[in-house]
Amino acid sequence: MATPFVAGTRGAVLHRGLVDLLGEEQVLWQKHDLQLYEYDGAVDTATPDAVVIPRDTADVANLARFCSEHNVPLVPRGAGTGLSGGAIPVEGGVVVSFARMSRILELDAANLRAVVQPGLVNLHLSTAAAPHGLYFVPDPSSQKACTIGGNVAENSGGPHTLAYGVTTNHVTGLEIVLTDGTIVRLGGKAHESEGYDLIGLFVGSEGTLGLITEITVRLSPLPEDKRTVMAAFPTMDLASEAVSAIIASGLVPSAIELMDQLATVAVEASVGAGYPLDAGAILLAEVDGPRDGLDDHRARIEELCRANGATSIRVAETALERDRLWAGRKGAFAAMGRLAPDYYVQDGVIPRTRLPDVLRRIAEVGERYGVRIANVFHAGDGNLHPLILFDGSLGPDVLRQVKAAGVEILRACLDAGGSITGEHGVGMEKNCELPLQYGPDDLAAMLHVKRAFDPAGLANPAKIFPTPSRCREFSLHAARSV
Amino acid sequence: MQLDPSDARECAAALRSAAEARQTVRVRGGGTKADPDEALPGDAVLRTRGLSGVVDHVPADLTVTVRAGTLLRDVQAALAERGQFLPLDPPHGGATIGGVIAANSNGFGTLRYGAVRDLLIGTTTALTDGTLARAGGRVVKNVAGYDLNKLLVGSLGTLGVIVEATFKVLPLPATRGASVSSATDATSAFARAGAIVRTSLRPTALVVDHERGAWRLVVAAAGEQAVVDRTLREAGGDHVADPDRLLVPLRDLLAAAAEGAVVRATIPLAAQPPFAGGVSRLDGFERLVADAGTGIVHVHLRGDDATIAASTVAAIASARVLGGSARTERVAPSLRRHLAALRTEPPGHFLMRRLKDAFDPRGILEPERSLA
Ligand SMILES: Cc1cc2nc3c(=O)[nH]c(=O)nc-3n(C[C@H](O)[C@H](O)[C@H](O)COP(=O)(O)OP(=O)(O)OC[C@H]3O[C@@H](n4cnc5c(N)ncnc54)[C@H](O)[C@@H]3O)c2cc1C
Repeated sequence: MATPFVAGTRGAVLHRGLVDLLGEEQVLWQKHDLQLYEYDGAVDTATPDAVVIPRDTADVANLARFCSEHNVPLVPRGAGTGLSGGAIPVEGGVVVSFARMSRILELDAANLRAVVQPGLVNLHLSTAAAPHGLYFVPDPSSQKACTIGGNVAENSGGPHTLAYGVTTNHVTGLEIVLTDGTIVRLGGKAHESEGYDLIGLFVGSEGTLGLITEITVRLSPLPEDKRTVMAAFPTMDLASEAVSAIIASGLVPSAIELMDQLATVAVEASVGAGYPLDAGAILLAEVDGPRDGLDDHRARIEELCRANGATSIRVAETALERDRLWAGRKGAFAAMGRLAPDYYVQDGVIPRTRLPDVLRRIAEVGERYGVRIANVFHAGDGNLHPLILFDGSLGPDVLRQVKAAGVEILRACLDAGGSITGEHGVGMEKNCELPLQYGPDDLAAMLHVKRAFDPAGLANPAKIFPTPSRCREFSLHAARSV
Repeated sequence: MQLDPSDARECAAALRSAAEARQTVRVRGGGTKADPDEALPGDAVLRTRGLSGVVDHVPADLTVTVRAGTLLRDVQAALAERGQFLPLDPPHGGATIGGVIAANSNGFGTLRYGAVRDLLIGTTTALTDGTLARAGGRVVKNVAGYDLNKLLVGSLGTLGVIVEATFKVLPLPATRGASVSSATDATSAFARAGAIVRTSLRPTALVVDHERGAWRLVVAAAGEQAVVDRTLREAGGDHVADPDRLLVPLRDLLAAAAEGAVVRATIPLAAQPPFAGGVSRLDGFERLVADAGTGIVHVHLRGDDATIAASTVAAIASARVLGGSARTERVAPSLRRHLAALRTEPPGHFLMRRLKDAFDPRGILEPERSLA
């Protein structure tokens, strides 16, 4: 058996081994190169020992075999837009970038499927499918940059996954490489496959079960038409009531998004989407599908908004106007730069009926910690995105305070019967908080899955589950002894 | 031996005792699943009917939490009182919720509403170590930890006993309707179905039915009057006000088929015409019912054992060649052993085996039940 690399000496020895195995072109190891892979869309950083940019599945399998022989962690990486530190090599090891595996292998319109490589950018798939009258439903706001591999790993959602489902509802096949180098092909173009639903288990596993090297996704017919409504409310409470009323009415809009005043001001300054600046909350709702009845749906939404106190309502008359309304929403996170140098986004979920009181608790947290919090979120499914604004240059204490405020927000979501994450994943950001949501027995069952796929523990270590080194209070061990 | 736990803790404790005694256990919900594996003389039978009742229905959140031994039909009745429904329409109204999850029983509504895996958002499961493991929760979006709900759907009781489940529900549709029309052959029937799949009409059923030389297309729609009208107009044929009149016989016919074998194939959408055309020429072919929006095709075969065996083999092979998979869903006891030999291990079988060994290390749950 080969000797494991010792931390610290990993760099040079590992680099030589990888170049021998895969060639100079596929391996990055110099400090300035590695620095580019220290961060993702969240707030934590760590430096990899090396970065490998494989060309194909065989490269990935060879790499995995090599790393398993030498006990080196593997950290898959798509576009690095993740918001929970999923692609950060906390324990060092090799970051595997899928930037070169970014092709559409097959666009099979007859079967409503596409077979793609994991590094494909989300939006590129829908662009390629459009001439066939098809699209890929999951539309994270980061869709111009994030990859389908990252979407599958995080089980990503987006504004339009309210009616048509998140990533897990649109994947029918996967090729995966386990950390011991075994290649496994699961499912395919058929609706389902035999045996346990390993695909369903793998989607959302955040790189901790192995590496995804190929994905078969479902394509859906483009809606015949859409109606987009923007409504301005004097307060967030009234806007939340309107959301509840729309849901309860039996309408199933394809999207219902909310944004508070702080966010609106930032968005207007950066994108100019045309949202009224004096509103306490902006609601964006869209209905789509067959043309018949769409105007009726739109009218009912307008009516429900008015009945709940909307002060002004605008309906997008053209595709251009619709795009402008959505540009505000999709550019909301980026617009936070107008308000503060840094932001820290939370991703808690609550039952939709609890919106008003949880939003109030979030505002209280902001006051108590002396931080400004903007809210931009998927109201239709109760998925909150409080954005805590701060200035990281003021030192590590500030970040610590901001994170503490974040944990309080998660507690508020859990108290309301919700979840600590709806689409951004647990990663290394919330792994210490996972035991707040699930007890020791629940986590033990999940760990059966981890050990079945990755017995050596080399797939994206120190993610999802609490680790004794980073989570003093909530290590699995401590949780178990309670 | 009979185990009748009356709550979740009791269920978990019963499993632990069984595991300690290496006592094999069969789990029974409504006892309606097609082709149940016979309980062998030494097996304990664990019945979940004591774990029943709606725990929480929050109409404004569109979620419902129920104990797993509750009959699906009772859940629907409770939801209907508040104008909502669980959009699952599997065969057997007598099935329990736990059985529906464990057997992954779906009806024709999958194209519109999704399947069990898409609607299930939370579970609590009793495991053989005596613990209760929760997964998911009561919110409609949740990516915290692994999605064990998915692992349980279709696991046939081999990993644990589901004791409670939470689903997404929907308001009852304002209008429903259906139409039936005939087609000259497989190609034209599936072409018409395919044209509807490619629109945004999203029918609640899209079924190609073939029997005694005749091909029929059955389309059902639900929701706003305008959309229902247009769907049925585009589908053509004769309108029927109550879709159940057409759909229930189609759904239950195969489940109830006492004679011969029923093969269930899941194939890519575009493979349906060649598959259907091929199997309809097999010896002993009786009837075919295809959920044309998902590619799930049931084939009923009749005849003497040799004929059924040969045609079953041919149908399964055809599904595999066309990029899908197939298995027998109902088969005469005299043929079971013969056809069992045909089972192949699905891709990733070694991972399934590891999962089974981790959740049920003593192998007491549903022994011999194949993972495929
Ligand atoms: C401005 C902005 C807006 C966003 N909006 C949304 C939104 O609306 N909805 C939403 O859900 N998310 C959103 N996100 C989060 C993020 O974009 C998604 O999580 C996205 O899916 C990550 O994709 P990525 O390619 O950047 O993955 P990365 O960040 O590179 O990686 C994410 C995780 O996936 C794993 N991974 C990546 N590729 C593979 C692979 N091939 N095999 C195995 N594991 C892999 C990584 O190890 C990591 O754990 C947003 C982010 C930003 C910055």
